[in-house]
Amino acid sequence: MNIELSEEAAEYGRQALEAFKAAGGDGLVQQAEAEPGHRAEQVAPVLAELGAWDLDARGDADELEAAAALCRSAGYWAVPYPVAERLARPADLGTDGLVVVAGTAPAGAVAGLDLRWTAVTPDGRRATAAALPPAAPPRESAFVTGLALTPLDEAGAADAALGLVLPCWTLLGMLDRAIDLAREHVLVREQFGRPLAQFQGVQFQLTDAEVERSGLEMMARYALWSGQANLPEALDDALALRLAALEAAETVFRVAHQLHGAIGFCDESPLSWISRYSQPVRRLPLGLSATRDLLARRLGRHALTGRYGDVAERVTS
Amino acid sequence: MTATATGLTAFRAHVRDWCRTHIPVGWREAQTGVGEEEFVAFQKAWFQELRRAGFAVPHWPAEWGGGMPVAEQIVLYQELAAHDAPRLVLAFVAIHHAAATLLAAGTDEQRRRHLPAILDGEIWVQGFSEPGAGSDLAALRTTARRERGAYVVNGQKLWASGAAHADWCLLLARTDPKAPKRRGISYFLLDMRTPGIDVRPIRQATGESHFCEVFLNDVEVPAANLVGPANEGWRVAQETLGAERGMTMLELAERLGNAGFRRLVELCSRPGPGGARPIGDSPVADRLAALETEVTGLRALCRDLVERHEAGTVGRADASIVKLYYSELLQRMTDFGTEVAGLAAHTELRKPLSSSWESGAWALDFIGSWEWTIPGGTSEIQRTIIAERGLGLPREPKGA
Ligand SMILES: Cc1cc2nc3c(=O)[nH]c(=O)nc-3n(C[C@H](O)[C@H](O)[C@H](O)COP(=O)(O)OP(=O)(O)OC[C@H]3O[C@@H](n4cnc5c(N)ncnc54)[C@H](O)[C@@H]3O)c2cc1C
Repeated sequence: MNIELSEEAAEYGRQALEAFKAAGGDGLVQQAEAEPGHRAEQVAPVLAELGAWDLDARGDADELEAAAALCRSAGYWAVPYPVAERLARPADLGTDGLVVVAGTAPAGAVAGLDLRWTAVTPDGRRATAAALPPAAPPRESAFVTGLALTPLDEAGAADAALGLVLPCWTLLGMLDRAIDLAREHVLVREQFGRPLAQFQGVQFQLTDAEVERSGLEMMARYALWSGQANLPEALDDALALRLAALEAAETVFRVAHQLHGAIGFCDESPLSWISRYSQPVRRLPLGLSATRDLLARRLGRHALTGRYGDVAERVTS
Repeated sequence: MTATATGLTAFRAHVRDWCRTHIPVGWREAQTGVGEEEFVAFQKAWFQELRRAGFAVPHWPAEWGGGMPVAEQIVLYQELAAHDAPRLVLAFVAIHHAAATLLAAGTDEQRRRHLPAILDGEIWVQGFSEPGAGSDLAALRTTARRERGAYVVNGQKLWASGAAHADWCLLLARTDPKAPKRRGISYFLLDMRTPGIDVRPIRQATGESHFCEVFLNDVEVPAANLVGPANEGWRVAQETLGAERGMTMLELAERLGNAGFRRLVELCSRPGPGGARPIGDSPVADRLAALETEVTGLRALCRDLVERHEAGTVGRADASIVKLYYSELLQRMTDFGTEVAGLAAHTELRKPLSSSWESGAWALDFIGSWEWTIPGGTSEIQRTIIAERGLGLPREPKGA
């Protein structure tokens, strides 16, 4: 198995980063919060320009990898638009996007967009979903709103896996950014007559965060490959990825905030925005313990196969 | 300690009675989603209620309206926490930092002017940090220039919590620009109504803006408002900053261990959407038990700190250990609360003001808890203190 992203996908991701930056960068989410009604107008043209809607994440490996790279770049700038959800749209239902839901109060960060949604539960039950009017402004809700579901079928196991994996790539991009921001901050901010980065206590925290982030990156590639290879345990791998992503996010954001000091809690610091808008991905459809619980139940008697397991070897050989 | 065991039992009964009859019923609901004005009014009214009972400033000397033995103070804070009383948020700096400073280093005149006024509701803010002076507070650059009978202050203060409501400010400013960093700083009492002060709220991640930037432009401070000798402000600040750590930490620890932990257990005992209670799950029960152990440890540490303070045997790193332990435990506990509360917690967008750091709006509490490892000496600074002063390890090499 080769879980490296192709050079094309990596290059596409870099282009996307530049395109989002040119379109406003950090300003995108700030504007969207100020004028939630215009959030699609800001971002959708950039995505169209990047050919995002021509990407078939369910097609070949190249396209799936490009989709993942795009999600990651969108996360880097906290792009206020459900990029991963749109890229995960079901193949057969003619809707615009896919949201994984769980529990009695289905919700997604899809407020105020004129789009048709499909919802899928982790066990593959699909429904048509309509976004309800948001109960709170984005400042408080980060664009999360309730979904009204009309049950459809039970054919969504693959949907659920893809629908879980792509948002983890978005979150990975957010962690990339949080680490970059923390790194830049400690290099520039001086206390006691020298840059914070010169204190080993600061360096070690950042390295711990980086270890978490790179571990997550490996998991993200593996789960992508597992879904692409149609492994029977693709959904378990997607849940394991989600678990790793949520754990990594906790460490990375805790460290990034701690190293920023008080400024990290203020709107003038991009970290505050990234951290706030990372909340929906981290809470929906399942938080840390619920994800862990579901994964544990599903694994039940068998364990994760993983990169070096027998089954994986058989599939690739 | 002077109070006898029977005396303490009677005192506890008295505080319990008082709590039952005086804590406003339903204050949590009433304080959820209220505006600033209502919050301030509620805080001031609650402070006066406590004052009438002799519970507002028990730690002050008797001549100023306190004088409660330490053993009774411990009981008082235990009972207030157990009965989930509102917290004194607004008066915090006034009754602790300002009072400790005035009592330790103020003139009689300054004490007479301010201590009774604090009892009447005067609100104080701490104006120490600056853009370039956070952990390295001694790097502060706000200046106070002596001119005739006054000092003229220029500069900028940052992160002043509650400055928008403050009547007075504890101010550190540089009076001798040529002296070594820590030697040229003086400590002032600044009337927030003085011309030249501009207070701007800073918007925070939690959506509130409880801390402010304070711009000081040719602000005149009468020389009589200098605390301690000129250029000795650093020493005054060091002596009074830690002075109150013991009892205030004990109060917070009691809150975390009483109402806070109870709310967590209630949360875990509530049937979820499927009917099952999280507490029936052994990992959840394990986590709760572990947290309970930690909270118990924290409460014991705080109590020990307070008693050693009284006995004059506090170690140089003891207060740092307590602050580090509390702040990181608070993060773990609110994090766990957020996990268990699940999705519903994230739709709860308002928390009751006047409550403690674990208000039961878990997602917001968790985000708020991150703030705790920063102010009053960050966790890294506390670790440095524990290493150097507690364990006697060498200092980090200069210019490494
Ligand atoms: C909620 C809140 C309320 C506050 N209220 C007030 C107030 O009322 N009045 C007031 O004056 N100030 C207040 N502050 C400011 C507070 O005192 C400062 O934030 C604090 O001193 C840290 O400074 P900083 O934010 O500039 O971070 P920095 O000092 O820039 O630190 C950034 C990071 O570097 C680390 N670091 C710094 N030096 C070292 C070192 N030598 N070794 C290892 N790591 C190091 C820090 O631990 C931190 O993780 C408040 C802050 C907060 C968050």
